[in-house]
Amino acid sequence: MVGQNGAGKTTFARVAAGLVRPDAGSLDIDGRPLRLGRVAGARAAGVELVHQSFALPPSFTVAEALEFGAGGGIGLYGRRQLLRRCRERLAALDLDVDPRRRIRDLPVEAQQGVEIARALVTDAKLLILDEPTAVLPPSGIEALFERIRGLRRHGVTVILILHKIREVLAVADTVSVLRGGRLVAGPIPREGADEAGIAQMIIGGAEVASADGDDTAALVGARQVGSAGARGTREEPPPAAREAVLSLASVSTAKEPEEPALDRVSLSVAPGEIVGVAGVQGNGQRTLVKTIAGLADAVDGDIRLGGSRANRASPAQRRALGLRVIPFERNSEGLSLTSALWENWSVRELMRRPLLSLVDPAALRRQCDKSLKAWGVHYAHAAQNAGALSGGNAQKVILAREIDADARLIIAAQPARGLDIGATAFVWSALREAAGRGCGVLLISSDLDELFDISDRLVVMLSGGIAGTFAPPYDLAAVGRAMTGASA
Amino acid sequence: MNLGFGAIPRALAFIVLALALCGVIFELAGYSALLMFEAILEGAFLRAGGWAQSLRWGLPLFITATGVAISFRCGFFNIGAQGQFYIGAICAAFVTHLLAGAPAALVLPVTFLAGMAGGALWALWPGYLRLRSGTDEVITTLMGNFIAALVLVYVTSGPLKDPSGTGQQAASPLLPAVYRISDSQGISPAIIGIAAAVALAMWVLVNRTPFGMLASLAGRNPTMVRFQGARLWTLGLSSFVISGALAGLAGTVELLGPTGRIASGFLPGHGFTAVLIALVANLSVFATAVVSLFFGGLASAAIYLPILAGLPAAAIDIFNAAVALFITAKSGLLDRLLRMAKLPT
Repeated sequence: MVGQNGAGKTTFARVAAGLVRPDAGSLDIDGRPLRLGRVAGARAAGVELVHQSFALPPSFTVAEALEFGAGGGIGLYGRRQLLRRCRERLAALDLDVDPRRRIRDLPVEAQQGVEIARALVTDAKLLILDEPTAVLPPSGIEALFERIRGLRRHGVTVILILHKIREVLAVADTVSVLRGGRLVAGPIPREGADEAGIAQMIIGGAEVASADGDDTAALVGARQVGSAGARGTREEPPPAAREAVLSLASVSTAKEPEEPALDRVSLSVAPGEIVGVAGVQGNGQRTLVKTIAGLADAVDGDIRLGGSRANRASPAQRRALGLRVIPFERNSEGLSLTSALWENWSVRELMRRPLLSLVDPAALRRQCDKSLKAWGVHYAHAAQNAGALSGGNAQKVILAREIDADARLIIAAQPARGLDIGATAFVWSALREAAGRGCGVLLISSDLDELFDISDRLVVMLSGGIAGTFAPPYDLAAVGRAMTGASA
Repeated sequence: MNLGFGAIPRALAFIVLALALCGVIFELAGYSALLMFEAILEGAFLRAGGWAQSLRWGLPLFITATGVAISFRCGFFNIGAQGQFYIGAICAAFVTHLLAGAPAALVLPVTFLAGMAGGALWALWPGYLRLRSGTDEVITTLMGNFIAALVLVYVTSGPLKDPSGTGQQAASPLLPAVYRISDSQGISPAIIGIAAAVALAMWVLVNRTPFGMLASLAGRNPTMVRFQGARLWTLGLSSFVISGALAGLAGTVELLGPTGRIASGFLPGHGFTAVLIALVANLSVFATAVVSLFFGGLASAAIYLPILAGLPAAAIDIFNAAVALFITAKSGLLDRLLRMAKLPT
């Protein structure tokens, strides 16, 4: 099942799993009508849903999560017995995870594997996976698909909710397209599926006016493997000769608890250049952002911002040099959801003034209104909480704050994650415009389609180091090898 | 623009609910709820001198509660106002003792500075521990209250002991009238002026400076503020210090004003009532002033309860507890009631 964000895919899945009670209609499983709006009823009928954002309790061990994740009955449990049963289940799925580890300590791929294992504990006949590939690297996606094919051989019906056509055609038997809460087409057998046609059905109309044909292909993941990387058609080649707005020379950091430390990272971003950072999540990208932003210390190497050495500069001093950050976590690092929009927007202004100077909140609100309007944010009034906005609008608030006239270097970490196609295209064009004005952009993403489409250059991070540098036209296979550390 | 007026209906809702609950409890216990309400109204505001008494209790509470609100806004639950109030009063008392005989124009400013510095110091160490190593400030400030209360016992029965004391309660000697800023009735232009200055300064700080705005953003999402380049150290430690200094100021006001001395265990509920006030007022400076006057009124009515309603003065504590109950339950029942009444939460 494919469709944009907001097309109703997740709602459909939640209805089938009994989490949402539909206003009208009925749902049959194996020819028998399902009692609607009851999770227990759906479970009994063999329907299991693996959520887009993982739902297992992070503090549980794998064994506990498998045993109690489905809300079983009452009984006495022994640790050994739990472990043995868990090992059997994991082995049946060919999952190599230590059942004694806690969910929060697992890498995403393993977490997802455990989520699937949890769903199968109850002998599910119908497994719904909501956007399972969003968190996975290319190799992980292939492994997931292999697992899904295995489930199919065992007679499990799988509904895969995806938004990339390429992925769908790699694994699905049929494709259905949702748009605006309606079934637009389907089920279309894979053999007769026409990529361009499906892309058109997903997007519908001329909604993405700002996106060119290349963007459209990247947005729905329709571009064929191998032909990737048509970017680089910009008239003006990146002026690498000018002084870099950011240069890291052999920068290393101390070990962080959750992320690999940076290991002699060297990279530079020239004015007007968009440098992409590819890599499987958890290979030091967060440390990279923190180190550049001044939130983590470099123990070795040189960080230069706009030509001056910035190793010891505070985060505030770096921002004064023109550094702007669109952080990974929109809702925790980017915005204070329980604060008013204008307060969120005003932080940049407030940081420019002495702490004890007088400010005029009414003026700030007016500036905020002006800026948010210019960025096309849909909101009721500037005093409403940032948490009331949708993901795309919230991201635009961050863009409105971070992309200002004084920005020299923009670190954009997963700027389009979770956004629908229109909002994604908007974010991309905003970054390109900023680059067009002479800003350097460092784009960190786990979406290769995104990176290939808008990066002038690409570096791949692996275990805290740089595993390779690529220029367009990009070779997906080579980038994929660098991401996984496979020898070329 | 938000002046903090929005917090007023919310605060009123707390108070009305708590009064209603107390009314029901007292009715069930065989007292007259109506008489209780009457006694509160009469004792706090209607009787002759009622307003003065309400202000006498309300203004020091306001000064401390504003400080509590400052640290709460920044996300730090400094519930050590009681201890900071005591240490402030103790430091101030030492200054008056050491400088005894010097002109008031010299003694008073130094006393105020010492009182505020003492309170600030008593908030500084929990703040430092919190920001340096993440030590839970609720625990440290709470423990600080006990330590401060014991220091007070020591000081009043040791170095600052009143030699002519009756032995019933350890206390320092009564200050000479020349150093007092009010008589024992406890209200004077000087105290009103101090409270007004605190109100104005804190309102400006919270609503009109980058410090206040960034601190309240940091209270809601410290990560985001850090990503924007702000230093949590500066914001957080300053908030602790300001909040301690205000509690110390309230202690100094009590010493130089109505109480005139420090005594072991004096005003034992001051800091906790202040925490309650700050929460009821939703951490708004303006609402804190209004709510403080109400709680000051309650304190002033306490002596009226036995007379008019036959209730023990401790009935006020039951009321305070009822308010606390509704504050902890605010996410549920009260919010729903407020939504039903279309009041801003």
